[in-house]
Amino acid sequence: MIFIYNIHNDLKEKIVNLNNSMEERYREVLSIDKLFLRRFIEEYIGKITSLKKLDNKYLALYEAKGGIVGVDGSTNRMGGAYPHFVDIFQGLAKSTIINNKAIFKSDLYTPLFSEKENNILAEDEKEIAEQRNKLLANIEVEVALEAVRKYKPYAILMDGSLIRYNIYSYDSWINLRDECENQGVLLVGVIKDIKTSIIGDKLKEVYSNINVEVYDRELLFGQLQYGEMIIINDEVNKKNKEGYSSIFMRSSLQPTVIGMDIIDSQKEYLEEMGRLVFTLTPENSRGVPLWLDIVDKEVQISDAIMKGLMERYMNRDLYERFFVSERAKRN
Amino acid sequence: MQIVGITTQQEVFIGSKTRNFRINEFLIIEDPYQNDLMGEVVEAKAFNRYIPLNIAGDFVDSSVLESLKTLGYNIDEETIYIAKVRLLNEALYPVQTGADVRLPEFHEVKDLMIKTKKEDGLVLGVIKNTDDMAIDMDEEYKNLLYTFEEKGLCPQREIPYILDVKSMHHYPHIGVFGGSGSGKSFGLRVVLEELMKQNIPTIVLDPHFEMDFSERAGYLEDNTIDFKDKFKCLQVGFHVGVKFEDLSSQDLKNLLDAASHLTDSMNNVVDVLFKRKDSFSSFYNKLQMLTEAQEEGSIDRIDNRINYADHQEEKKAWEKRKELYLSYDKTCPYNSVKGIIWRLKRLDNEGIFSKDVREIEDGLQRGKLMVIQGNTRILQVFSTYLLNSLYHKRRDYKDALYKKIHSEYFPPFIVVTDEAHNFAPKGYDSPSKSILKEISQEGRKYGAFLILATQRPTLLDETITAQLNTKFIFRTVRASDIQTIKEETDLTVEETRRLPYLRTGDVFISSASMGRTIFARIRAAISSSPHTENPFDELKNKGKEDDEKFLNVIKSKLPINDTELLDIIMEIEKETGITFTLDSLEDRLKQMVEKEYIKKEETIFGYRYKIIS
Repeated sequence: MIFIYNIHNDLKEKIVNLNNSMEERYREVLSIDKLFLRRFIEEYIGKITSLKKLDNKYLALYEAKGGIVGVDGSTNRMGGAYPHFVDIFQGLAKSTIINNKAIFKSDLYTPLFSEKENNILAEDEKEIAEQRNKLLANIEVEVALEAVRKYKPYAILMDGSLIRYNIYSYDSWINLRDECENQGVLLVGVIKDIKTSIIGDKLKEVYSNINVEVYDRELLFGQLQYGEMIIINDEVNKKNKEGYSSIFMRSSLQPTVIGMDIIDSQKEYLEEMGRLVFTLTPENSRGVPLWLDIVDKEVQISDAIMKGLMERYMNRDLYERFFVSERAKRN
Repeated sequence: MQIVGITTQQEVFIGSKTRNFRINEFLIIEDPYQNDLMGEVVEAKAFNRYIPLNIAGDFVDSSVLESLKTLGYNIDEETIYIAKVRLLNEALYPVQTGADVRLPEFHEVKDLMIKTKKEDGLVLGVIKNTDDMAIDMDEEYKNLLYTFEEKGLCPQREIPYILDVKSMHHYPHIGVFGGSGSGKSFGLRVVLEELMKQNIPTIVLDPHFEMDFSERAGYLEDNTIDFKDKFKCLQVGFHVGVKFEDLSSQDLKNLLDAASHLTDSMNNVVDVLFKRKDSFSSFYNKLQMLTEAQEEGSIDRIDNRINYADHQEEKKAWEKRKELYLSYDKTCPYNSVKGIIWRLKRLDNEGIFSKDVREIEDGLQRGKLMVIQGNTRILQVFSTYLLNSLYHKRRDYKDALYKKIHSEYFPPFIVVTDEAHNFAPKGYDSPSKSILKEISQEGRKYGAFLILATQRPTLLDETITAQLNTKFIFRTVRASDIQTIKEETDLTVEETRRLPYLRTGDVFISSASMGRTIFARIRAAISSSPHTENPFDELKNKGKEDDEKFLNVIKSKLPINDTELLDIIMEIEKETGITFTLDSLEDRLKQMVEKEYIKKEETIFGYRYKIIS
């Protein structure tokens, strides 16, 4: 007992240290005056506007024009350590119009069957992660593409930043982009966890005394009012050269801020889509449009089902030999 | 519809995205490895994974759902329906998960649902939740009845529930249980209507004066059935009674006991004093004279009375008293004799000895329904005698038949009573209990059957409850009664849990002849009960009637000045014979003003009541 307590004591100290050093490091940036920061944002980053929810007339119009499609993907991993596992990907495009059947696609990946010969371990790790991202991005783009062709929705809401598809699934992504532009389907990405540092970088640039790396996530925490949106100027938006326009928005009563991308040819709809996202987000939620939450919930495969599928459709011998880890047998 | 989850040989779960299940519905499971299996839904659930509106821990407000709805997405359509189904017959193996499930067609369930032809059975109602199967039902089972639903009278859509009355020969006696307002009395009425249709001789003990079938129910337009010639209401002491000369000493003791409990010594008094063929007055006089003799106290004093009698008559009477005193004083204590006298008097005052049961017997012989009315206590007394007499008539006939000797025919019959726990209570003795017990235990052999209704099955004698082979269970709220029902019927735990929430008129029918419990709804009655008017409506209507009457009386006299009230009172008295005092008339007029029949206005001479123009 004492032994455990000592360990925890040790850990406790480490945590206290972390807290102290973070405080020291970010004190300056995070204590920037609210008004000052807002003025700074207005001047250097983009206009802050307050959004109104869309009223039902608009929404009914969207419905008439093909509804809204939400796209998300999920991954599951069955098995143990490299290379004895299999990754399962599933993508879903679901339309708000109930008669438009949801489009599911799935794929899987295992290093046992990767095309390249196995190299050094370290490189594999990276490669595997890369491979996974590719497959996942691909499958999401594919379901989105099929949804565009089949249902011609008014808009597509992708889960996550659109830039991801540029990186991991370039060819099909361009395909989807073209298709959307041709068909007039709005293509939007909703980012729950923003990872950019646009404001921080600008701060550093303008005020040379600031020299810490701060992300927009922590800077914007609590700075926007419910329903406020920053339309990021294309000049400062790092995604602009890939062809996107972006915003930040506080879409729920939670102080966190979410982001949204749209392809630049559809920039004129940026505010409208912002309002759509705002409308579909419950005020007491984490800030994610309910539709994407529903799609997310539907695309997830539980581990129990995964296990059931593997056991049912794989040779028991092969399955045990390759994919049942020691860890899985622990109770 | 598909089998989901873990299955057993007895129970499975069925899931569907489109069809909501109903409890007690029948389904056929097409197991690829076994024959088709039939099951009954015992629990139905609907499940929506997004409701309660908790997605990833967020609380979803309705405005967002509203927005999604406008975008074409209705969260309700994500509902999944799940049914727990119990197989009617155990399967050989656990049912294959994933097997398809379908609705049965009528011919597949006919044998389960309908045990007899409509002509031979009692058409009591419909089996609930069978409308899907009833679509291709044989014509002869369609349009037999109406039911009451929330929206009013509805034509039959489901499979009819037909009670096989012949099966009572093997599975005798019916219990009807349910709290007040559960549809129990109504159900009883429907049963009686069907018995009348079948011309089955029936005795109804009716403490509520409600089993009158002469009024046709107003809601049935094409109602052509008339029960007027099929039943007769008879009031104890008024239409029917006990013929004293026919009583055995045991009958008499039962009757007196019903009036008030008899002590051993009182029993003895009856045994000693009552002689067969005694008339009421001869027996009563005997008792009376004995007490008078006993009041004298000794034989010497009685002798004195004889010796100093004023005239011959009196002398004779006292000699008679002396005779009685000598033979009975030792065996019949004064107090006991007095006790018998007042019990006898009580019965006589109720008119029990003034009539006989001839009319009842005649009615039964002609296959009629005889309704015996009276207050509970009187009915207890009378039914004891009546049932004993009828049952033994029937029994004697059957025994004579067996012994191959001639005897007068007496038909089999059914005894029906509401508030049966008063006639056969648990825990203590009541005179009518022994005869009901006897019929319940051996009536089957002689063709005498019971239909006992009660709101308190817990208070009904257990031996009798155990003999009720068919039970109708309406809504029951009391925990102790539900416990009794659990013990006495084959209702499942799920079903007993539903008992407190059953709609009026919905009933579980647990019947040994069916071998399982059926969930049914009693049909709309063809006749209407005399007690259906709401007492509060009654008050209102009565008040209105009175007001209009009064208005008619004073109409011609309006306007009435307050100075001429006295004259008006006299006029009214002369014309109608109704007397008012000054206060009561003024009070009544004020009331009429309040109800806006007339109005009151002030004039320079005082008040004036006048008509509203």
